[in-house]
Amino acid sequence: MYLYTVATLVGIYCILTLGLNTITGIAGQISLGHAAFLGIGAYTAAILTVTYGWDFWPALVAACLAAGVAGALVGAAAIRVREDFLAITTMGINFVVVGVFLYFPFFGGSFGIGGIPSPRWFGGPLAKPGFLVLTLAGLVLALAVNLWLLRSWAGLALMATREDEDSARAAGVDVRRFKILAFSIGTALAGLAGSLYAHYLTFISAGDFGFPFSITILCMLVLGGIGTNRGAILGAVVLGVLPELFRPLADYRMLTYGAILLALMRWAPHGLVGDESWLWRILRRRAAA
Amino acid sequence: MTFLRLALPLVMLPMLLALGALPARAQPTIKIGFFAPLTGFAAADGASTKHSAEIAVEELNAAGGIKGKKVELVVYDDRHDSKEAVAIANKLIEKDQVVGVVSGSYSMPSRVTAPIFAKAGLPMVVSYAVHPDVTKAGPCVFRNGYLGQVEGSAAAESAVKLQKARKIAVLTVDNDFGRVTGAAFIERAKKLGAEIHSDQVYKLGEKEFGPYLTKLQGQGIDLIFHTSYYNEGAQIVRKAKELGITAKQEATEGIDSAIFLQLAGAAAEGVTFTTNLNRDDPRPEVQSFLKKYQAKTGSPADMVGASAYDAVKILARGIEQAGTDAKGICATLTNLRDYPAITGKISRFVKGEVTKPVQIQIIRDGKVRSFAIIDNPEVITPPVQ
Amino acid sequence: MTATLVQQLINGLTVGSLYALMALGLTMVYGVLRVLHIAHAAVFTLGGYGGLAVYQATGSFWLALAGAMLAAVAAGLAMERWVYWPLLGKPPIATLIASIGLFIGLEELYRIVAGPEPYAFAVPLRLPEIRRGPLLVTPPQLLVMALTAGLLIALWLMLTRTALGLALRAASQDQEMAAACGMRVRGVVMANFAIGSALAGAAGMLVGIYYNSVSPTMGDVAGYKGLAIIVLGGLGSIPGTVLGALVIGLVETLVIGFVEFPLPRDAWAFLAMIAVFLARPQGLLGVK
Repeated sequence: MYLYTVATLVGIYCILTLGLNTITGIAGQISLGHAAFLGIGAYTAAILTVTYGWDFWPALVAACLAAGVAGALVGAAAIRVREDFLAITTMGINFVVVGVFLYFPFFGGSFGIGGIPSPRWFGGPLAKPGFLVLTLAGLVLALAVNLWLLRSWAGLALMATREDEDSARAAGVDVRRFKILAFSIGTALAGLAGSLYAHYLTFISAGDFGFPFSITILCMLVLGGIGTNRGAILGAVVLGVLPELFRPLADYRMLTYGAILLALMRWAPHGLVGDESWLWRILRRRAAA
Repeated sequence: MTFLRLALPLVMLPMLLALGALPARAQPTIKIGFFAPLTGFAAADGASTKHSAEIAVEELNAAGGIKGKKVELVVYDDRHDSKEAVAIANKLIEKDQVVGVVSGSYSMPSRVTAPIFAKAGLPMVVSYAVHPDVTKAGPCVFRNGYLGQVEGSAAAESAVKLQKARKIAVLTVDNDFGRVTGAAFIERAKKLGAEIHSDQVYKLGEKEFGPYLTKLQGQGIDLIFHTSYYNEGAQIVRKAKELGITAKQEATEGIDSAIFLQLAGAAAEGVTFTTNLNRDDPRPEVQSFLKKYQAKTGSPADMVGASAYDAVKILARGIEQAGTDAKGICATLTNLRDYPAITGKISRFVKGEVTKPVQIQIIRDGKVRSFAIIDNPEVITPPVQ
Repeated sequence: MTATLVQQLINGLTVGSLYALMALGLTMVYGVLRVLHIAHAAVFTLGGYGGLAVYQATGSFWLALAGAMLAAVAAGLAMERWVYWPLLGKPPIATLIASIGLFIGLEELYRIVAGPEPYAFAVPLRLPEIRRGPLLVTPPQLLVMALTAGLLIALWLMLTRTALGLALRAASQDQEMAAACGMRVRGVVMANFAIGSALAGAAGMLVGIYYNSVSPTMGDVAGYKGLAIIVLGGLGSIPGTVLGALVIGLVETLVIGFVEFPLPRDAWAFLAMIAVFLARPQGLLGVK
């Protein structure tokens, strides 16, 4: 049913926002190029399955690895820079990566890559409901990874870095290692989303992974509440489903995104259900009572 | 707390399902799906196809509809984005439950959606997208326009044989349309004995052509062939004129738009281009469409519009003869003979492709006129096995 | 070969001039507020539309230019008042995201109000074409370079010879100190925005005329590239930005002109930025 299509796409968005949350929300590193890692994952999965005949599952792992390694490299660069520089750098990486996909024939160039096969499950191709279950499994995995991160020693270190990098460093936290770790995990998740994306659309092209998509993902995370997993999911669901419900307003979609970002930052920077947001505080109070 | 964290997202999903579970409606009208880039860089083309499709539907309904039922056009904006196109395709099939689909869009959205419609068994008529893979998706995908290979070859015929160009410089826009058409041009031009000086590839959306064109100065170039859309095409001809390059300019259906004329200004004079709409075609149905489009929108009609008009009418013809059964429509269209499309008579579809003459139009005094018609079978027969 | 090289240099300088006018506002705002004013590109676009509107109404190039710059100044000041100033205490990511939202929203607003299709901006230029041997400077190129030079000279004079200029330079070096010395910080911040926006407005109109096209998304490329340019030149450094802009303009042009390298021209700006960045994080002329 049509529902499966929307739900699957929203599930993929959730994995993306959760991954971005790891980088931007938990570790406080600004990434404006998240879509590039989605692209790296998608192209890895596509090329391995189409050109080299790999199976879906190994290609999926490869996609996560490829995106994660790329993220580690960016993380390594993130060490030298702060805030604004990082923002522009990640934006630049988005452009360069898309440029590479567009120009080298190995990646299909301007034709993109088509005919990406459906994943196989016990011998048969996965149908729509099955694919949705797969996507949900990915979502749960992403969520679990993030929760583990929050609880672990690594997570504490990352949050300390986010709050005050210099003090964290003074307290003995190896800032470098943790920045790289955060980036890699976040981008590996994007790689996972990329594999799902490629097999779901069966056709990908460079233009799918440009800066505007990075902004859309960021917008979803910000709307929900940066730094929180529930925010990541809520934001993805709301902004993923809204355009479907309000078709007549489709023309105003990007205008709405812009207005949302602006209004949120101005008056509700914690998003809908972020830690300090009005809504979440009310829910917490109700739960405690 | 942890339970809440895991449970919350899983609770939201049923909400989503509930939101989307709208019941399928009964069908008092005949629904035809239609998608085009209504926003984004191709918005002008999208608008043109939408208006033209609407004209076609108005005409059908004025004549009593199809089998007594009114025709309803279900229009979606694909924003030239593949995710959007996929979502639209699924929606048309499952939610709107259309009888057939017309693509008013470019190659990329058409390519992405063709397999989806093919899998659902729905007939699809593509107005003008040129990529060869579109019709390979299934036996029920039909293309009203030319293949990129046909268009490129025809352009070469015009450039070398008719305009007597010996040394040609090529500018290729970096997308599927540009690559396919440009490659075909170069192959044919070489075969006809012309020398290709260079093939420079530029990105879609490029505005600054100084560096590309300066390379061509003083090289004895007779003609510059470029695959381009109205924005880039206008920049190319303007910059060439600014730099004093006197080579002839030939382009493709990408510039077949009133916007090109506006942006290019005086530099548009003398530019030739391949297309399927002949403004000087004496047939009454062509002139009637041109008048209606001008009256409806205030601008002159263009290639994408005329093609969309034809695509809708072709699909309607299938429905007229076979009813709303998808297989029946497919069979009717496969057996269609000598259909008088305003963008050129279609003798038949071969594997979804048409054989029709290519129009070479020229801009004189700010108006689009006929320059030549390429009907050499070797050139215009689509290369399908 | 030399003729082509000379011509490509002229091409590159012209493009670089446009980039410079566009990026100066960005670096000036960063210098004083430490904020990445991504919405600057929307101010640029407004200059294009504003200039076109005034030109269509009056037929005068100079009035149109004034109109473009005034519209841009108004927009810039409005942004400063309602978005940047209120967000000053908050973490930089908030301002960055707000700026992005502002940019996207405005671009869409332009599209909804003026339509998605480009407008022609034809201005008959009564300028000479310069031909000296291999050198060819076409009237539009002459217009761009002359106007850019004029505006840059005016800017330089203002910065070095006037009290306001002194205040601006002081504020960009150390805002607290400057305030302690009695400078009206808010006034200086506003003046900074005004000047940067005025330059962007002029750039927007010039680009509109140069390419005979004013459209809602005309700020895109220049906006992204502007960011790369100011990092390349040194965040906050005005001469650095001018140099960075010219360098990028030349590099892009020469790569297309002489190298068969596959990457699209926009990627070059970012590659150059990343390269300079790794070698010299403060940019070409920035201060550490």
